[in-house]
Amino acid sequence: MTDVVATNETILVVGGGISGMTAALEAAECGKDVVLLEKSPSLGGRVSQLYKYFPKLCHPTCGMEINLKRIKANKRIRVLTLAEVSAITGKPGDYTATIRISPRYVNEHCTACGACAEAVAAEFDNEFNYGMGKRKGAYLSSAMAYPQRYVIDPRILGTPDAEKAKSACKYNAVDLGMKEETVNLKVGAVVWATGWKPYDANKIQPYGYDRYKNVITSVEFERLMDPFGPTGGKLVRPSDGKEAKNVAFIQCAGSRDRNHLKHCSRICCMASLKQSTYVREKYADDANVSIYYIDIRAIDRFEDFYKRIQADPKVKFIKSKVANITEDKATGNPILHGVDTEGYHRYDNPHDLVVLAIGMEPSVDASRIMPGVKADASGFIDINATTEAVFGAGCASNALDVNRSVQNATAAALRAIQVVNRVSRAEA
Amino acid sequence: MTDLNKVMVEKYRNDFLKEVEANVEEGNWVKMCMQCGVCSGSCPLGPHWEHPPQEIFMMIRAGKRDEVLRSESMWMCTSCYNCIVRCPRELPITHIMHGLANYAHRLGIAPKLNPTRRFAKMFWNNITAGGRVNELKLSVGLYFMDGFASGIKKGLEMLPVGLGMLKTGRLNPFGLFSGGHCKGAGDIRKMIKKAKEIEDKRKGFAA
Amino acid sequence: MADTKIGAYICKGCGIGERLDTAQLAMIAQKEGKAQVVREHEFLCNSQGVEMIKNDIANEGVNHVVIAACSRRSKAETFNFDNVAISRANLREGVIWITPADDDKKEIVQEMAADYVRMGCAESLKMQIPAGNPSHGNNKRILVVGGGVSGMTAAIEASKTGYDVLLVEKTGSLGGWAAKLHKRVPNTEPYANPMDTGVADLIKKIESDKHIKVHLNSTITKTSGAPGQFSADISTESGGTATENIGAIIMASGFTPYDMNKLPHLGAGKSKDVVDQLGLEALAKAANGGPIKRPSDGKIVSSVVFVQCAGQRSDKEGELPYCSGHCCNTSIKQAMYFKDQNKDIDTVVMYTDLRTPGNGEDFYRSAQKKGVIFTKGVASEVVPGSELQVKFQDKILNEDAIAKADLVVLATGQVANSGVDIEQVPQDEPGKWAANKQSVLNMVYRQGKDLPLLKHGFNDSHFICFPYETRRTGIYTAGPVRRPMDMVQAIEDATGAALKAIQAVENASLGRAAHPRSGDLSFPTFRREGCTQCKRCTVECPFGAIDEDEQRYPQFNESRCRRCGTCMGACPVRVISFENYSVDTVGSQIKGVDMPDQFSEKPRILVLACENDAYPALDMAAMNHIQYSAFTRVIPVRCLGSINTIWVTDALNSGYDGVILMGCQKGENYQCHFVKGSEIAHTRMSKIDDTLKQLSLEVERVKTYEVAITDIQRAPALINEMAETIQKIGMSPLKF
Repeated sequence: MTDVVATNETILVVGGGISGMTAALEAAECGKDVVLLEKSPSLGGRVSQLYKYFPKLCHPTCGMEINLKRIKANKRIRVLTLAEVSAITGKPGDYTATIRISPRYVNEHCTACGACAEAVAAEFDNEFNYGMGKRKGAYLSSAMAYPQRYVIDPRILGTPDAEKAKSACKYNAVDLGMKEETVNLKVGAVVWATGWKPYDANKIQPYGYDRYKNVITSVEFERLMDPFGPTGGKLVRPSDGKEAKNVAFIQCAGSRDRNHLKHCSRICCMASLKQSTYVREKYADDANVSIYYIDIRAIDRFEDFYKRIQADPKVKFIKSKVANITEDKATGNPILHGVDTEGYHRYDNPHDLVVLAIGMEPSVDASRIMPGVKADASGFIDINATTEAVFGAGCASNALDVNRSVQNATAAALRAIQVVNRVSRAEA
Repeated sequence: MTDLNKVMVEKYRNDFLKEVEANVEEGNWVKMCMQCGVCSGSCPLGPHWEHPPQEIFMMIRAGKRDEVLRSESMWMCTSCYNCIVRCPRELPITHIMHGLANYAHRLGIAPKLNPTRRFAKMFWNNITAGGRVNELKLSVGLYFMDGFASGIKKGLEMLPVGLGMLKTGRLNPFGLFSGGHCKGAGDIRKMIKKAKEIEDKRKGFAA
Repeated sequence: MADTKIGAYICKGCGIGERLDTAQLAMIAQKEGKAQVVREHEFLCNSQGVEMIKNDIANEGVNHVVIAACSRRSKAETFNFDNVAISRANLREGVIWITPADDDKKEIVQEMAADYVRMGCAESLKMQIPAGNPSHGNNKRILVVGGGVSGMTAAIEASKTGYDVLLVEKTGSLGGWAAKLHKRVPNTEPYANPMDTGVADLIKKIESDKHIKVHLNSTITKTSGAPGQFSADISTESGGTATENIGAIIMASGFTPYDMNKLPHLGAGKSKDVVDQLGLEALAKAANGGPIKRPSDGKIVSSVVFVQCAGQRSDKEGELPYCSGHCCNTSIKQAMYFKDQNKDIDTVVMYTDLRTPGNGEDFYRSAQKKGVIFTKGVASEVVPGSELQVKFQDKILNEDAIAKADLVVLATGQVANSGVDIEQVPQDEPGKWAANKQSVLNMVYRQGKDLPLLKHGFNDSHFICFPYETRRTGIYTAGPVRRPMDMVQAIEDATGAALKAIQAVENASLGRAAHPRSGDLSFPTFRREGCTQCKRCTVECPFGAIDEDEQRYPQFNESRCRRCGTCMGACPVRVISFENYSVDTVGSQIKGVDMPDQFSEKPRILVLACENDAYPALDMAAMNHIQYSAFTRVIPVRCLGSINTIWVTDALNSGYDGVILMGCQKGENYQCHFVKGSEIAHTRMSKIDDTLKQLSLEVERVKTYEVAITDIQRAPALINEMAETIQKIGMSPLKF
């Protein structure tokens, strides 16, 4: 049974991505007790699946290491993984959160030695790689996974693999009898940091994501750069493993579009500019990048980065929303059709690979969090119409880049602290 | 310049956008375009357009009245609706194109020899005359649109098809002479006339 | 403090027991490592293992614990005991996972493990249990500099959390630029119309809050001290000076609008009817909902052109290279001032990239719906006259064109009020400090009066994951002084900055470090009698923590210190140390390694690896079973900047065949979380060649690399490269 000590001076942070981790850490480092929930088996969220950050081109893993070190060292933070909120009731300063914890089938005895994974044969699509490539039925999502504890995929239960995993473990860490649990936590304030998900690219029919193998999304593209990712860090295209040297980026794939997401997702322009450097990194002067855009939104000093990419003769900018994509059956090349609107130039451009700069939508529609929390029309938490003690952080509250998410999460942590301080003053 | 055209130029001065908004079907959507160009790229006849829709919208905003209204471009629209379904701003582009074409025609400044315009006119006259389309008259009219000689030539080219249709009872040769009108065709004409009056009044064409 | 009693615990789990002779390791811990309690355990991280250690701490008097098991990154929470010095000997990721299990390798693998046990014990012996900075202050009041929206928000939020605030504003009223706005860009559904600025409400809140003390017409003429014990001199309009004590500082000094007179080609200064965005706000405020009149002749404006990116996003000398972020939305809002009053007014926004992120897209659509025309074009010239002519290139229609207007609004940018550039202004000598009028904080810091700039005059953090990392502990920037921003962002930013300020005073009062070593209770001390006053520590400290006292000795200001150890690395006479991290704790590990003789063909490679990036990279290499030479001995360091060259010299002198330093990326996009550590280390090591020559050693024996945490394959490869190099050039002759 999971035992968690929480009081109405405890802050509940929902979501263990960079925003949730930040909110939890900042509050805990102010001396507050925090329970941090994450629905997947490990912390880190979407940034842990990125190769580099814009505009510095540094690795998210670096900041993750610091944040994990902070979490490991801080006894005020209690991390619950595979945990989701099923309900929140009560009033500001006095909430009861009902948490559903799914079984990991691996207990705290796990040393992350990896013996169970070696023993298991079954493989499943690797969600860490957005379904590209496979992982074992007993797995650690990545080398940075925290908690550093393996997970048994429920789909191997009842198969010989489950028993193999169990007997491979010398430390009695595999517990196949583990059951789903529900715990009720008393908390004073809630920081909601459930982040974002990529817009469903299948819905953008003219781009044929569902039909053409060589049309992928920007989040998938990030995974190709991981040396331990689905392609072993090679920038090759899915259909035939051919080197993807001539890469097109389609901006506003789902964003700024009344048929899809009406808001601008803010990050996608910078993400494509950044990803253009990946192609250059891999193929140097053999690389050719085309960025199809409506407006390049490189705000504040990101402009420097935009200028840097603009100066690259191997990167072309085409002011155009691509009309549709067809496929050259013989070569597997996607062909982009459209009109460059700067002076009206029609194009039918073949590329090795097309990357959709996919839009951002909230993972959880804010209107479903609890009564009193209001969503804007895109499902983000409306900052002006939230309850007095449930605060949005990061991409749950707006389409934000990492830096702004962290700022926002820090602000959310303070708002939560204000509530629990009020409680503590009242009780003093 | 026809009278109506003169009136409109006078009325809207330099503000072609306002003129379009007031007089062109769905013209009030023109301002919503964000120049992404997806319409221009989506049009199956796109390569034949001198000015694709998104460019026309920009030209309207830039006050290029004559260039737009005398253009052949919007007459290219075949109502496939690709642009409408893809437009991220939900502009009813197809309708606007037809609206612009119609407006130019009403002003009398549409390109005289544009085949779409001539066909549309022929079709309109045909259907309004009898309340339903007289297909034979329409086809024959179409053949002879560019003169007697080419009409004969086209007719001969289509002869086997025509004979085939005749054989299977798909073509009534007497249609060329008989009216083939629906019942109460006169009343339909009256209704159309009235509707036109109302529209003209609303749009200020009645001057 | 009680005598050191080392307990060494050797885990046999995860294959350690099968691969290694743990009994031999235990013996080494006892005999060579001087551990008084030595225990082997089948599975040290389980509850019995942990209980065993706890029991020894409680009942056997063990106060230094050496865990010979997995990497220090693994099971960190499990092996976390209060008031005990902890060392980790990395036998799993550091030995058995990176070496082959072949029998013929058994000996060298065992030697590797034995050395790590020796090193762990040697480190432990030299460590002390950190007790927290004793000279900390307890002041928890927050000073906010700047009374605009950012400053007011920070003050209100800090007060709301229960902290007293002192707010200093240089002008005679609160509100800043926002008070000069007619309306603001909406921040809520339906994002369609300009809304009230809310500034009056903020001012009212400040004025009615008894926990916020406001100084108007005042500037800071002196800031000294450290978190928890800052002192600020506030010069008031009357000429008097008030000295106030505070615990942390939020610098919300805002921005100055770019001087549009630098844009004469766009008509600025040539026609009164060319205004900047603030000029238009003034006109709108004067009109108060009625028709807006133009400045030159009071004519009601019937047409207006907004020129975006005026003097911004530009490479021209004297113009701003960056984008100010808010101006697209601001022009949209201002165009609505006209359209909402009279829809027949022609409003054209001339832009190159319209930047309305997030729900700004709704605001953009709303403007279009209201009839605002957006033209993608670049304005080249505004010709003055009773009707202004904006010459521009229409990017869509691909032609030069002219737009005529009664009024032209130039969307110029924000210039940060960040004070003096400390890189440019010479520093005051100790004891000769004088206030500078341009400075915002007038800090009495050895490294300068204001916060270091990041770029383009802004004070932003360099780190994407850590936006509040200024390089002066306890001082946080908020709002447009940090980077160009709009009001929504400024409010979020100020709220976050308030948290960081509160966190700083709380940490300071407990004597512990701030980010990134948050919670660290160690702090630097120095042996005054050994100090030669060389100033290297005061100059090299990345956080400006160290001043010089009047006798020119370093003054550490421990609460400002971030515990990176750069000072320790800098000190040529090695008088600076931390309780649990010192020249000795690392030096003794280097010397603790058992050095085989020259003819053994067992070289020794010392790797000093940044604990945040290179060390985890090696750990993850191990998790992926990527192998590297078993002759390697890796020591994690807090930062490459903390590496004292004596370590390298000692290592070479005692017979190491190769030394590798692995730090983070340096240069403009530096990754070092202690800012300059990696860079400084590279500079220091560039002089190592002389040392090598003196020792008659080949220069290839010492390498300094920039290694990223993702270099999981490269980091081991670099080690193996060194092993090959040694094979080529031969063993070091300096083995005795």
